Amino acid sequence: MIRLEDIHKRYRSPVLRGIDLHVPAGCIYALIGPGASGKSVLLKVVAGLVRPERGKVYVDGEELGELDDLGLASVRRKIGMLFQNYALFDMTVFENIAFPLRRLYDLPDTEVRERVAERLARVALPGTEDRDPSRMSGGQKKRIGVARATVARPPIVLYDEPTAGLDPVTSQKIYDLIRDEQRAQGTTVMVISSDVSGVLSIADRVGMLHEGELVFDGTAEEARDSTIPAVRQFVHGLVEGPL
Amino acid sequence: MRSGLTRSIAALFEDAHQLGSLFGRTLYYLLHGKREKGSVARMMFEVGNKSLLFMCVTMGFIGAIIAFQTGLQAKKLVPDFSMIGATYLKLLVRDLAASLGALPLATRVGAGIAAELGSMVVTEQVDALRMCAADPVDYLVVPRFVASVVMGTVVLIIGGFVAYLAGMAVAQMVFDVNPHTFTNLSMVTTGDLTLGLFKCITYGGAIAIVSSQRGLATFGGSEGVGHATTEAVVGSCFAIIVLNLIISTLGYFFVPAL
Amino acid sequence: MSATPSSARPLLAIPRRIGLVVIALADQLGGAGMLLGQVLVRLRPRRIDRYELFRNLHRMGVRSLPIIAATAAFTGGIMVIQAAPFVEKYNAKNFVGWAATFTTFRELGPLLIALIFNGRVGANNTAELGTMKVTDQVDALRALAIDPVGYLVVPRVIAMVVMMVALCVIGDAVALGGAVLTADLLLDVDPRIFLSSALERLDTWDFLVGLIKSLLFGLMIALMSCYYGLATRGGAPGVGRAVNASVVASAAGVFVADYLSTFVLE
Ligand SMILES: Nc1ncnc2c1ncn2[C@@H]1O[C@H](COP(=O)(O)OP(=O)(O)O)[C@@H](O)[C@H]1O
Ligand SMILES: [Mg+2]
Repeated sequence: MIRLEDIHKRYRSPVLRGIDLHVPAGCIYALIGPGASGKSVLLKVVAGLVRPERGKVYVDGEELGELDDLGLASVRRKIGMLFQNYALFDMTVFENIAFPLRRLYDLPDTEVRERVAERLARVALPGTEDRDPSRMSGGQKKRIGVARATVARPPIVLYDEPTAGLDPVTSQKIYDLIRDEQRAQGTTVMVISSDVSGVLSIADRVGMLHEGELVFDGTAEEARDSTIPAVRQFVHGLVEGPL
Repeated sequence: MRSGLTRSIAALFEDAHQLGSLFGRTLYYLLHGKREKGSVARMMFEVGNKSLLFMCVTMGFIGAIIAFQTGLQAKKLVPDFSMIGATYLKLLVRDLAASLGALPLATRVGAGIAAELGSMVVTEQVDALRMCAADPVDYLVVPRFVASVVMGTVVLIIGGFVAYLAGMAVAQMVFDVNPHTFTNLSMVTTGDLTLGLFKCITYGGAIAIVSSQRGLATFGGSEGVGHATTEAVVGSCFAIIVLNLIISTLGYFFVPAL
Repeated sequence: MSATPSSARPLLAIPRRIGLVVIALADQLGGAGMLLGQVLVRLRPRRIDRYELFRNLHRMGVRSLPIIAATAAFTGGIMVIQAAPFVEKYNAKNFVGWAATFTTFRELGPLLIALIFNGRVGANNTAELGTMKVTDQVDALRALAIDPVGYLVVPRVIAMVVMMVALCVIGDAVALGGAVLTADLLLDVDPRIFLSSALERLDTWDFLVGLIKSLLFGLMIALMSCYYGLATRGGAPGVGRAVNASVVASAAGVFVADYLSTFVLE
């Protein structure tokens, strides 16, 4: 479903240095790693929002580097994305979540209302349709972002830190939601998280970025038992180690 | 110095290419895009509401100044002010109402567009739009383009009227030309009107395209937004001046003035 | 700025709004005027920070040169095209030089240069001072017993005024070049005839009027942009608002100064 080959991207200094990665269809892929290791940039590469200098990105069989704006737009229709800093629009909660539905389909108003209400209930924010997101807490904004990313039922969903700033109970609810949806719809999911134990509980596969390289790629089990020092330190939250 | 010059020429071509490409995509989405109910109307209100008062005030001053300069010039050539109103009106219709008015318009409208789009870029809202099946050109640039063309033209025409009235007042007070003599349409042709209108429309579009391009190219946080705003105003003013030279040259050949 | 609910008395909404605008305007003009006073009091050559002054002269003046020169060249060309019909009709080739340069030198040159200078340098200046203000750097200067007006504002005001005048002189020269070229190409006016017409009929005064105007415009932009920069409040969005307000206020100030000086400097 998603395949990256030898991705290089630099801003002032190199951020991604030769990433090879494969996410099969119907898989939950967790991306972990210390801050500023390039996780968010990598997710944007997958969404076609950042063009790498070198390397190829295949999403659902299409190579993003060969597409023009319109081609990219049609690939992005298959992707829902939660941004690390929410990126909510200056509209009400309802309009934010209804936005992708309205742009993608011509649904009757009642159905749009129903689907937005269902999403809000799913992220434990029922009845908040008319509120202004800029006046809500970080955790609430995150959950509205999750609702917006999934409302159009895209086959691929990318979550950038869905549980940062959430209490443990809500975090677990979000993880359960991601897992349930994925099981119900067979979506392909990439999720970035710093909360390693939480995300490992739902992930099929795990990749760890460190200084722009993928230092680990395997199953959740393998990650827990890894003997690579950086992975071992990060997964088990040890103070001693190379990080 | 030499490398600095070649670099700025290369940058100029790069800018021109970017603007041309944005203009092309704007036209494409203007025809093929998804219509958002009310977005154009909202932007038209923004453009008009934001700039009308400012335009009236500045065009009042500019009108008075230009009338005064025209009078001074006329005084040195022929000691007869009977044609000053006709000449002034022709100049206003053919060029000044559009070209001078467009500069304050760019300051107000261009800065607004660039600041708004720039802050959407740095808060990742533009990326989010892309992920929500809303191309930023379609969703953000097209309504601003339409609004800026339509309302820009309206505001420029109103500004032209204000400039005319201010010129009339100056002619009366300084050169003793009564409003009746001053109001002399004999020199204004349909060609002049067409040329003036064409300029208004072009400048309105140019302000929207240049400022949107600068806004969408914002990078690097809130300082980046300030930078983009500055560049939008300067770039729009520069585009207006360049377009003025081009259109005026064409007008000289194809729309004879006298 | 903020939308105050006045739905209770819709009739009063408009006078109320005008009143608010007038009060805000008086406040800002007063603030800018006070700043001028503070700058004048500190104008002692020894006490001006040389390094700050030269840094600002370079970045405000030298780096604005390309865009200002291009603007001036186009303006010269445009003025010739506007004069062209009259030249053809009255076959007044020996007037075109004067007709094109008179308005450019006295009026359009300084005005257009000021507007571009405002967008480029004024806005940038407000953004820089505003950022320093909201990140508490201005207070940090005070804590170090460095006077912010003397250290930050005085060199900027001097640099902007000096550079506006210098850019105007250069702009006049380039505009003349653009006008000569356009007249030669479009109207077939010999450059020598053009120049002699311009030089014979133009007074030194016409040239000086332009310079005096530039000086006033430079002062206007400098004061407004510094005032709005130092008055910035409310974090990063506040900086954006300050930049916008400063650009508009400076432009308005330039037009008013232009209007007044046009009539006084006849
Ligand atoms: N648009 C950008 N411009 C410049 N540098 C960037 C940009 N986006 C990311 N970076 C840099 O890339 C590095 C990785 O960033 P990011 O992917 O956000 O890290 P994280 O792993 O915490 O999500 C950081 O050093 C960041 O400064
Ligand atoms: Mg990140």
